[in-house]
Formats: sequence, C-alpha cells, structure tokens
Amino acid sequence: MSETSTTLIAVSGSGRHQGRSSNIGRIVARMRKQPGTIVAGAFIVVLFFTAILAPLLAPYDPTQVNFDNILEPPSAQFWLGTDDLGRDQLSRLIFGAQIVLIVALGAVVVAALIGVPLGLIFGFNGGWWDRIGMRFIDMAQALPGMVIGLTVVAILGRNIIILMFAIGLIGASLFARMTRAVVLVERNKLYVEAAEVAGLPRRQIIFGQILPNLVGPIVTQGTVFLGSAIMIESAMSFLGIGLSSDIPTWGAMLSLALDNQAVAPHLTWPPGIAIVLTVLAFSVFGDGLNDALTGERRRLPRLGLRLAQAEEERAARAAVPTVQAAIGADTSSSSGAQPVLVAHDVSVALAMPDRTQARIVKNVSITVAKGEIVGLLGESGSGKSTFARAVLGMLPPGTWLATGSIRLLGEELAHRRESELAHIRGTRMGAVFQDPMNALSPVHSVGMQLTEPLRLHKAMNRAQARARAIELLERVGVRNAASRLDDYPHQFSGGMAQRVAIAMALAADPELLIADEATSALDVTTQAQVLDLILDLRDEYGLGVLMITHSLGVVAETCDRAAVMYRGRIVEDSSVETLFHDPQHLYTRSLLAANPANAESSGRLATIDGELRMEIDRQLDAFEADEAGA
Amino acid sequence: MLKLILYRLALAVPQLLLLSLFVFFLTYLIPGSPAGAILGAAATPEGIARLEAQLGLDRPWYVRLGEFYAGLVRGDLGNSYISGRPVVELFVERIPATASLILAGMLVAVILGLALGIMGGTKPGSIRDRVATAFTSVSMSLPEFWVGIVLLLIFAVQLRILPVVSYVPFDVDPFGWARGLILPSIALGVGGAALIARQTRTAMASAMSSRYIDSLTAAGVPRRRVVFRYSFKNALVPVLASTGLTVSIMLGASFSVEKVFSFPGIGALMIRSVTGKDFAVVQGGVLLIAIMIILINLILDVSYGLLNPKSRPS
Repeated sequence: MSETSTTLIAVSGSGRHQGRSSNIGRIVARMRKQPGTIVAGAFIVVLFFTAILAPLLAPYDPTQVNFDNILEPPSAQFWLGTDDLGRDQLSRLIFGAQIVLIVALGAVVVAALIGVPLGLIFGFNGGWWDRIGMRFIDMAQALPGMVIGLTVVAILGRNIIILMFAIGLIGASLFARMTRAVVLVERNKLYVEAAEVAGLPRRQIIFGQILPNLVGPIVTQGTVFLGSAIMIESAMSFLGIGLSSDIPTWGAMLSLALDNQAVAPHLTWPPGIAIVLTVLAFSVFGDGLNDALTGERRRLPRLGLRLAQAEEERAARAAVPTVQAAIGADTSSSSGAQPVLVAHDVSVALAMPDRTQARIVKNVSITVAKGEIVGLLGESGSGKSTFARAVLGMLPPGTWLATGSIRLLGEELAHRRESELAHIRGTRMGAVFQDPMNALSPVHSVGMQLTEPLRLHKAMNRAQARARAIELLERVGVRNAASRLDDYPHQFSGGMAQRVAIAMALAADPELLIADEATSALDVTTQAQVLDLILDLRDEYGLGVLMITHSLGVVAETCDRAAVMYRGRIVEDSSVETLFHDPQHLYTRSLLAANPANAESSGRLATIDGELRMEIDRQLDAFEADEAGA
Repeated sequence: MLKLILYRLALAVPQLLLLSLFVFFLTYLIPGSPAGAILGAAATPEGIARLEAQLGLDRPWYVRLGEFYAGLVRGDLGNSYISGRPVVELFVERIPATASLILAGMLVAVILGLALGIMGGTKPGSIRDRVATAFTSVSMSLPEFWVGIVLLLIFAVQLRILPVVSYVPFDVDPFGWARGLILPSIALGVGGAALIARQTRTAMASAMSSRYIDSLTAAGVPRRRVVFRYSFKNALVPVLASTGLTVSIMLGASFSVEKVFSFPGIGALMIRSVTGKDFAVVQGGVLLIAIMIILINLILDVSYGLLNPKSRPS
C-alpha cells in the first residue's frame, strides 16, 4: 500500500520544493525497500564503527615489530597471520580501515570543494567561461587519474593531507561536471527567473536557491566517489607513492603480500577482500541513494508473475483448437472474398507491478478480406496497436496472448514459435509503423535494409536484390532510386523514409499489410500522398490492409470497413458508410461529434467531456458485467 | 573523411600547447626547488646552487621555456636528473611492454565486455541480465592489482603453469610474449570489461527497443540477425564514444599491474621517478601520456565517423 503511494509521489516529481524533513523521510522510506542498499548500508556502518573503535578492537599494535613471529600463517594467536616484520595482520587490517576512510572522506571533501564552485561558475555564467572551463575539465578527465595523483605526489611529497588533495583533484572534475549539469537545469526553472526578476542579487540566487537543490546530487556523487577514492588510495599505497609504508594501509599490505607470495600466501586474501567489499558497498549504496533521490525504481518483474504468465499462455494455447472449431463456420460466410486475416476473440494480458494482470485487449474479433482496407479506429491507449502486435506475434515483454485465434490465409498464428513466425512475417504479412524517421536503422544504408527481406525470403543474391530494391523504391515513388540506395536514413525526409519502410514491408510480397499509425507523424500533404500510395498498392497487388489509426479522416478516405476500439474492446464494427451515417454505439457517436471537420464554423467544438465519458464507461461496464454473468 | 581527420588534428594543437605549458610550469610548483627536493633535508645552500647550475635550473623561466619548446619541436624532452639519459629514450624503450599490456588488456575487456553487455542488454530484466549485471558490479569493485596478485598466486606460484616474471619481448620469443601476457591482460581487462559491459548493456537495451527493430522484425528478419547485425552496430556508436575514457582508465590501471608482473613498462619508470624525485622524467612522462591519449582519441573519433554516418561531414 505505502509502496504504491511512494511511487506516485516520485512520478509526479514535485519533491524538490517541499520541506526538507519530509524529503529525507521519503528518501529513507524508499531506500528501505532496496535490499541491496540496506546490506551495503549496514556494511558501511560496521566499517565506520570498526574504524572508530580500531584501538579497542585490534588485538595488537599494528606497527609492533615482532621478529619471533615472522610470516606466520593464521592461528589462534594471530587470526590472520603476520607479515615479514611479524606485525599482526588483523590489527593492520582494522587500522587500515581507519586510514582508508579518513583519506577517502578527505578526498571527497577536497573534490567537492574544488569541483562544486567550478561547476557553479561554469553553469551560471555560461558563454566563454563555460566553454573554456569545460575544455579544461574534459582534458583533466581524459588523463588517467593515476597520472594526476602521482604528479601531485612528485611535486608536493608524501603525507596524508597531500594524498587527500591528490585524490580529491582526480575527483574534482566529476563534481564540476555534475554541478554544472544541475545548475543548467535549475537556472532555467521558473523560480530562478522569478528571483532574478524580483531583483535578488546573483550570488544570493546561487547560494540561496540553487545550492539546496544540489545537496542530493552532491551526496550521491560523494558516496560513489568515496568508493573510487578508496580504490585509488589503495593503488597508490600499493605502488609506494601513497603514505609511508609503516602506516597500515590495505594497499601497502598487498604490496607486502606480493613480495612474500611464495612463502606466505595467506597475506593475499584479507586486504584484497576488504577493498572489494568496501568499494562494492559504497557503489551499491550510492546507486541506491541515487534511485531513492530521483524516485526511480529499477525493480524488475517478480519471478512469480512470470510463472503465472507461462501457465496462462499454456492454457490459452490449449484452447486454440476449440476456438478454431467454433469459428470454422462463420468466416466463410462473412463475404464473398476470401479472408486474409481472421482474428477471433483475441485478448492480451499485461503483467502489473503489483502481481495482478490486466486485459489490455479484450475479445477482439476482426476479419480482413483480400483487397479490403479495414480501419481499426481508437484513441491512444485503446489497445489498437497492441492488437496489431498480437497479430504480428511481436507483443512486448510483460504482455501475452491470453485468449483467441489469429488465422492468416487459413493458417493459425497464435502461440507459434518465433522461428516459424519470422518466416511468416515479411512473406505473408508486412507492417509499417509510426514515426518514419526511426523506422530505419540510422547506421545502415537504406539499400542494405531494403534488400534484407529480398535476400532472406526470395533467396536473391546481392546483385538481384539490389536490382529489385531499385524497382521497389521506384514503385513507392522515391526518385533517383538507384543513387539513393547507398544513402542513410537521415538523408531522407519523413515522407520518403515512410515510403522506404513501405517498400521494405512489401518487398517479399505479403498479402496483409498492417499500417500502425503509418501516416500520423507526417504533415497533411505527405500523409495524403502516402495514403494514396497504399490505396494504389492495394489495387495493384490485392493486398488486405489493416489500417490502425486515431484519425477519422484516414478512415473516411481509405477504409472499406472500420472497427472502433475503446478500452481494449471493439464497440462497433461496420462499413464506413454506416459508421459515419448511422453510428450505433454512443462512443462512436460522440467521437464523430467531436470531429473538427464536422464542426460548424460558428458553434463550439463538441468534446468527449467527463460526463459523457462516464456515461460511455457506464454502458461498457454494464456490458462487461452482463458478459461475465453469462 | 580527410576533412574530419584534419579538423580533429587542428583541435588537438591548442590542447597540446596548453598541456605543454602546464607541464613546463609544474616544476615551479615544487615547494623550495627541485634541487632542494632531490638533495633532501641535509642539503646546504651551496650544494643546492651547484646542482641547480648543473641541471640548468638557475636560468630565468623564459629562457628555460624557450629551450623547452625548442627541444619539444626536435622531439627532445631533456635528460633524466638522475641517470642523465634522454627522457624520450627512456620512454621509447619501455613503450613495447606497456603497449603489449594495454592492447592485450583491451582485447580481454572488449571481448568480455561486449559479451556481458549483449547478454544483459538484449533481454533487460531477465535472469541472465541480472547475472551479467552482478558480475559487472563486482568486477567494477575489483582492484586490478589484487586480481593480478591472486592470479599470480594461483597460476604461477601454486599451479606453476604460467611464469612469474611475465614480460618477454616479442622479437625475442613471440610465444613467450603471448604466454606472459595471459595473466596481466586478464588482471587489467576485467575492470575495463565492466566499463564496456555497462555501456554496451545500456546501448543495446535502447537499440533493442527502437522502432527500426520492429520494422526489421516485421519484415521477417530473424532475431539473431536483428540483434547481431542491426542492434549491435547501433549500440557500438555510444560504446565507441566512451572507449577513449576506457583506454585512459586502463592506462592508469596498468601502472599497478606492471608492478605485480614486474613489467619493464612506462608505469614502472614513472613510479621509480616519482620516488627518486626525477622531475624531468615525471614531466616528460606526463606530457607523453597526454599526447598518447590525445592521439588515441583522435583515432577513435575518426573510427566513430566511420561507424556513424550522421557525424560525417558532407
């Protein structure tokens, strides 16, 4: 229960301007739902206590040389053994935690103190400040951190403060970059402009308004960098350019382990494992903190749900033959023409995050005859595109075909294996989708993509496929087809790209074309041209077309028949003539009334307002209740 | 393409200029003087003055700056304060070892990283994605030198199937060279693999959910081909864009790997020069490493142009 409410707040994303205390409470509440973050947090707490209580916890003085117990393996006396000077490894490990945390925390503070002001300056001033400043940051980030670190040590020498500074300098560019990004977002927000208009001095705007919004990202960045700082400190100590070697550090311990590897292999494990666990803990905790702050959740669907899905799919598959028997009679009688597509009682289920499932397509039946253009009309979210994907066998993850049968040219497609479907797609049905600019891969030439179905399904060789591709491009109205074959999609306009997509869909002579909002993203003139093309192709090849659209105009201009979809259901299925002149369903009537093309020039445009929608929903609810009862 | 290369080269010039200036003035940041730092606490003022004269540090900065750039143009970075040998020569003889290590490490990183990234990115949220992601997170937290020490302990000290001292020059014994690179390249490559895997996973997941995947699938292109031919090439664009950073990180990591496997490489020279206060070598090393990184980024930028038609100037 509380889980759903936190998600909602996160989605609305208004967290930033509310009270700080409630913010922290919410972040903590979110983090408590991330088991990994809790474990990492607990580890960090234990580590800090170990570091603080090191003098009490360590059984020996970590610097105590003891020549009687050199390189001893772990024993009851020395739990982790001793090194080449007889120093107790457990004590050195515990004090090492203290050193590494002090250095890493110091480095984070240094990195923030250098990076945040730089980021503020670049982000707020913009212009040349930003351009030149960011060049420096880029260059600093391109250099290996180790090179920056050893340069600082070479110049300034070796002590704990210099080490903090060296590591902090490595991380400063991260903080600068992050701060700049936040400032760029924040400075364009309304409240900063308002403060500027109200005459607040610039400095006050930066410190009073922007800084509080930076706290979250800085803390996250700090946590993540803490892990890196520990890694860098260890590497530098290992290389002998960190702290002096008698100070117990995990890196220096590993350096000794390397030297004495042949005689004392036990020295290798504890410091290494300590570094790995510490770095891992900070990175997991940092990620969790980031998720909690931004309200993002990377939760994946639970396994239980998938099992339920598999079971349901199996049941639906088993039911297909009975469904087929039931529809055997009525398809042949529907019209004279032979049907290309017969979908019967198709339902699609969607897995919800709370372990329930919802039907997003409900008992849809639709028939497309040869040479017929059937419209599937509906508003966004009505389930029309999901239905198209069900026909194609391309349902997105988390959804599945729950009931029904889909027959293409008499052949059942429901629950077929992907490998079998791959051959049916392209040769018997093709599809064109919305947004032509993304319909083709941007890094492959148009020719390569267009020849793909030709070479696969028509077994053409490269030269044959190229020749046929040119013919196809010419057929769909691309000029200079031969020279455009080697062009890339970004060199085409939207309308031309969609023509290419149509050519690709029809390359292997399918009998059904599914056009899913194929013209919605195009301007009106181009839209008309592409629709004309589809009509021509229909006439030429006798294609059956399933035209999925939200546009009444498209239906009126191109379709022979249309089905209206609402809330996952077909509420009306009739000829276009009947649909426009004698609509049966209240939703259809309301939809037609709301068509701007029909609006009287003087009167107000009718809309489907809340009240009307409630009435439509009431009718549909009653129908569904009836159906469930029957 | 030539235009792109020239443009990138032109951009690199001010970068180099700025960098060399910065590197030149590094010695002026040393508290006291380099000579004082070399001689240590027991140094007498006369001793410091003598060493400064000997190293040419007593002349005014503008004379030294002019000399520095005159040398730079001739490919001369001065001589080591300690051995007196030319700095460039010291680095050149060590480049083969470091280059072998980085190339071999990169090979491991690319193969492992792409495999893990594709494994997770083609099916985000699946069990195999979780396995790949967990592996990536852990590898990200592994210090490369510790991985090296553990590998050395297992394969060289205990099982004795691979040599402890790794580097054999290629021209001496190509087989020994390859054999010696196995463990160091794994130690170095695991961390790089994690970086590449993360990038690839994200890029692959976003490529897989793109519209063109739908178009190709709907045209009957089998999934395997869609994944490896189309999604993969699209995913490579952002992955390649971040490879410069990966190489740079691996170069930094190679320093400690070189120590573990006693590689006579650039890292070992740099560390020795830092502890020995041989500023001329440190200075020259920083500049050479920066030049190398600028060059690598240049090559990557050009290959990026080959991969991504949109970034080609028309």
